[in-house]
Amino acid sequence: MTSLQSIRNTSSSVLTSLTVKGISKLLAFFSIASKTTSGRIGLFIVLIHFLLAVFGSFITPYSPTAFGAENLQHRLEGPTFAHPFGTDHFGRDVLSRVIAGARSIVWISVIGTTLGIFLGTVVGITSGYLGGWIDQISMRFMDWLLSFPSLLLALLLITIGAERFDIDESWLIIMVIGIAFMPNNSRVIRSASLTVKPLEFVQNARLRGEPLYYIVFREILPNVLPVIGVEATLRLSFALLLTASLGFLGLGVQPPTPDWGLMVSDGREFLSMAPWVALSPALAMGSLVIGVNLLADGIRQALQLPEVRSE
Amino acid sequence: MKKEREVLLSVAGLSVSFFTPRGTIRAVRDASFEVARGEVLGIVGESGCGKSTAAFAIMGYLPKTAEIEGSILFEGKSISDLDANELRSLRGNRIAMVYQDPTTSLNPSMKIGLQVAEVVLEHMDLSSSQTSDRVIELFESVGLADPDEIGNRYPHELSGGMQQRVMIAMALACDPDLLIMDEPTTGLDVTTEATILDLVASLKERVNAGILYVSHNLGVIARVADRVSVMYAGQTVEQSTVYELFDSPQHPYTAGLLSCVPKPPQEGGETTRLRRIPGFVFSSQESNDDLCLFSDRCPLANEKCMTQSPSVISSPHGSEVRCIRSHDVDSDIWGEVEQILGVPQSQSETVLMAEQLTHEYGKHQKKYVLFGPETSTPVRALNEVDFDVKKGRTLGIVGESGSGKSTLARAAVGLIEARSGTIKLHNESLANKVENRSQDERSAIQMVFQNPTASLNPKLRIRNTILRSLRRFAGLGRDESQLRAEELMLAVGLDPSYLDRLPSELSGGEQQRVAIAGAFSANPEVVVADEAVSSLDVSVQAQVLNLLEDRQKELGNSYLFISHDLGVVRYLSDEIMVIYAGYVAEYGPSSSVLSLPSHPYTEALLSAAPVPDPTVESNSLRLEGAVPTMRERFQGCFFASRCPRKLGSICDDSPPPSQDAGEGNGHVISCHIPVKELSAVQS
Amino acid sequence: MGLDRHPVERYISWIGNAVQGDLGVSPRSGASINEMIGRRLPNSALLAFIAFVVAVPTSLAAGIFAGIYPDSRLDRFLSIGSLLTISVPEFIIGVILMLVFSSKLGWLPSSTIMLPGETIMSKPEVLVLPILTITGALFAYILRMARANVMEVMESNYVRTAVLKGIPMRQVVMKHVLPNALIPTITVIANNVGWMFGGLIVVEFVFAYPGVGSLLIMAIDTRDMRLLQSTAMVIASVYAFSNLAADLAYGLLNPRIRYG
Repeated sequence: MTSLQSIRNTSSSVLTSLTVKGISKLLAFFSIASKTTSGRIGLFIVLIHFLLAVFGSFITPYSPTAFGAENLQHRLEGPTFAHPFGTDHFGRDVLSRVIAGARSIVWISVIGTTLGIFLGTVVGITSGYLGGWIDQISMRFMDWLLSFPSLLLALLLITIGAERFDIDESWLIIMVIGIAFMPNNSRVIRSASLTVKPLEFVQNARLRGEPLYYIVFREILPNVLPVIGVEATLRLSFALLLTASLGFLGLGVQPPTPDWGLMVSDGREFLSMAPWVALSPALAMGSLVIGVNLLADGIRQALQLPEVRSE
Repeated sequence: MKKEREVLLSVAGLSVSFFTPRGTIRAVRDASFEVARGEVLGIVGESGCGKSTAAFAIMGYLPKTAEIEGSILFEGKSISDLDANELRSLRGNRIAMVYQDPTTSLNPSMKIGLQVAEVVLEHMDLSSSQTSDRVIELFESVGLADPDEIGNRYPHELSGGMQQRVMIAMALACDPDLLIMDEPTTGLDVTTEATILDLVASLKERVNAGILYVSHNLGVIARVADRVSVMYAGQTVEQSTVYELFDSPQHPYTAGLLSCVPKPPQEGGETTRLRRIPGFVFSSQESNDDLCLFSDRCPLANEKCMTQSPSVISSPHGSEVRCIRSHDVDSDIWGEVEQILGVPQSQSETVLMAEQLTHEYGKHQKKYVLFGPETSTPVRALNEVDFDVKKGRTLGIVGESGSGKSTLARAAVGLIEARSGTIKLHNESLANKVENRSQDERSAIQMVFQNPTASLNPKLRIRNTILRSLRRFAGLGRDESQLRAEELMLAVGLDPSYLDRLPSELSGGEQQRVAIAGAFSANPEVVVADEAVSSLDVSVQAQVLNLLEDRQKELGNSYLFISHDLGVVRYLSDEIMVIYAGYVAEYGPSSSVLSLPSHPYTEALLSAAPVPDPTVESNSLRLEGAVPTMRERFQGCFFASRCPRKLGSICDDSPPPSQDAGEGNGHVISCHIPVKELSAVQS
Repeated sequence: MGLDRHPVERYISWIGNAVQGDLGVSPRSGASINEMIGRRLPNSALLAFIAFVVAVPTSLAAGIFAGIYPDSRLDRFLSIGSLLTISVPEFIIGVILMLVFSSKLGWLPSSTIMLPGETIMSKPEVLVLPILTITGALFAYILRMARANVMEVMESNYVRTAVLKGIPMRQVVMKHVLPNALIPTITVIANNVGWMFGGLIVVEFVFAYPGVGSLLIMAIDTRDMRLLQSTAMVIASVYAFSNLAADLAYGLLNPRIRYG
């Protein structure tokens, strides 16, 4: 009993210290991002979308998934004060659906990118530092993955995954993003760690007899973090585009959950008489990715990293 | 006898400021100098003194954010008044420039012949066949071998020295009136530098131009310049003829620079301790209203120096100095000449020893690429090298780049796993790879690297770096190690408050001190210093050399000191090993190695090294080319391909014997030429 | 049909036949897959080729200009414009173009559905919107790459050398800036051809264009696994082939790696 308690105590103190660390890292990230104008604008847009993704379900004026006779009376109504973005072909409020749609795309893209960055960092940094046959094998595998265009890879994995396994499609997309982005991430991070590896302070660590994990995580990782940060923001914008495209092709989150891509696809039918149905989610999508791209540009400028990486 | 002096370029009161988001940078504050036809004006100063900015201002080539004041007159016309077309017809044609880094200054995807022809076609009215003749003629005049064919090569196919010759050919293309050379030999090997300097010296006679030669190296300036202008923190502080300047400097800064350079010991005398200039160059971010910019580093500075900006005082015979106390400047304002207390000459025990150390890069393998097989053969970097480092002594290792000195250093500490051979510490064999050595063995051999900025993890505060070393090596508790860290900082001459700084907040010299503190936190028996002072300015270099020497006197540790700079090696070493292409050419006590009899390679290195004394006639012994990349073992002598004293087929066919120089002190020379003949001076 | 055999066994026999050029028969429609792909592949190739020919030269030219004159008015305009198009997925660009040019203005057809007897060649106007959509997405991407590379080369020491040779600015750009800036730009573009392939699939789907991409989506919708395998394999091999071609082109352009 006591030992269990002590474990709980230490784990909670570890958790608090991790949270404190995380918050201070986040603040540092904000301060870097807000050094440039584009970074500030990007941060603002991205924060709004994130707030919508987290609290959206509390502020939607109407139910985004309502389905009934009284809704059907208000089909395809243009923007009014009651429905600023109009209504769709089932008479649902488009604004509510756009707000509610932020949740799935933001979470899927963020978790998927995080997974891809995590996998890519582990593979890239260790194979970069260790070199030799481990490096050879893992990079050949990454090359093989890269030999599929990422949308094709995603389509294949999702179709096969849906056919063979009974997994929620959101998790499927997250895994697909993680796998599809791993090769590029690992290449970029590997080349960054290759530039750090021969530096004298890493050699000094070897002379001190530091163990492998210390060299990789304490000496190399902090120095490739800026590269990882920029890479992550860039990949996040790709993940958003990929998730939206999958939704548009009908392979995203399944109805009735609102999905921006699917909403645009459905809205195409009524494009001439009710353009707001397709344009509203398109606008939301565009503004989010513009925000992410501005943020990536801002961080890159603030850290003075080059825009082009030749691999 | 003397012709009328025709002034080509006159710069007066030049100041250049850059407006950046982080504040104004005053790169040049008040520079004034003149270049006349047929003479070489040398501009000398440490990094950050505004020399290069002044040179580019003359070319009219500064970023848009630069603000220029003062006047730059070329043949009486102001450069800044010229419009774009007038400026373009001047550049490359009447004013031409040679840059510091030839490798990046040549277009990598264009044949060099075309790059030179471009200038000729633009400014001279020649047909295309005349142009190609002109290009060949130019290549010939700068001493490039095979001038007819070399134009078809790309820059990456040429060595650094050849690339710089191409740049000089390009600059001479239109017979310019003014030639600006901005650190043209920095980054090149001493032997290559010597041949380029010979070329510059010959230009003086051949070309009827004025030359502005910018360098940080006093030895180089002494070789090429007729008159010298010394710059400090963007100001011209002294100006006179080269003989006057080196003989009786008027400004304390000039005097300090001269006493910082390690000089060859007087015949039979002891080496004298280097004097040093404390502190760092006046920050270019500060403004300079009412003080002498050198006052915070100057031993003569008084009240007046701190409150009043000194004006330039001209002497009747044309020299100028910006100092109110120039009459008090003499050779010992930077401290008394101290004799270095020599370590007792008795035999001391061997600490670190290497036997038959051999290393090669790459593996034997066949590569199959798209268009047929290609075999790759490893490059041999070290060949059966033996050495021993004695307790409390310093073994210096010299050679050109590619000679294997860095490989030797890294193999000794185990960062590179030598392919064969043994390294012994106190006669106990060590594993060749540092990861396989015990912690005690690791702490016994520590290393200081060339690049101080890269030696410290930029993300860690100095305290964390030092504490980590102390924890790994000394196993000290928290309080003890804090105390020890402060002691270490004081020992390398830094305030303990530096512990809380990040490496980026320190200057290069300070960073190197911290790196030295880190190495000494292990209480090492041997410290391997690989070009540890090469990237530092002369005044800072002297500070660090003195620090290394003090540590040795106090702690009795040994050094394996690697450098391309013979002057520095000579200053610190008890014994010297000269290596070439991974082979030991000569090995023995310093004084024996540096005097005759010598290996022809040592002799060439000695005669190539620039001496900061314009009265010294340069020895004309020169080496062309670069250290060969060695894939197979040499059949004969390793040096045969470049040796100026090659005997004949014996040098190509059989490896040279290791001859004892017969001085009874272990001085050995690897050469076919008998020791007796090696004792005769060559030229 | 061998449905009693193990799926792995069936897959292996399919691979065996595919290598010999026989992709088999679609179980859903009963049609020969070879024939279905054979009919649509030229359509996709035509679309990709025209889009490439339109997008690459114009975007390179714009990127080079923006890189030579950074912070000029045109550069700012291009930067903002490219940020917008790079941030919007192809299907949104397609839908907006559709809205403007076919729903509102009625100038162009909104889809490329062919009536029997019609071909792309007999109705070339159907190509305009798909091409504009792909160009819009590629343009921004290539422009940003070219601009960044040109700016980097403009800062280099050898361009300084060229300027101080006194040769005209036009010559500096043509002989010194472009050859060196375009080499990395082209590599980066080539390395990202896969991205364009993905875009092509979406664009074909948006406009119901009779190409391999929309065939792939059709296979997914109808759960026709054999057709899916076949189209995916064809797309992946074309992609691998274009990557190889780009690598070879890079070797020809860059003297530094021309050693075999």
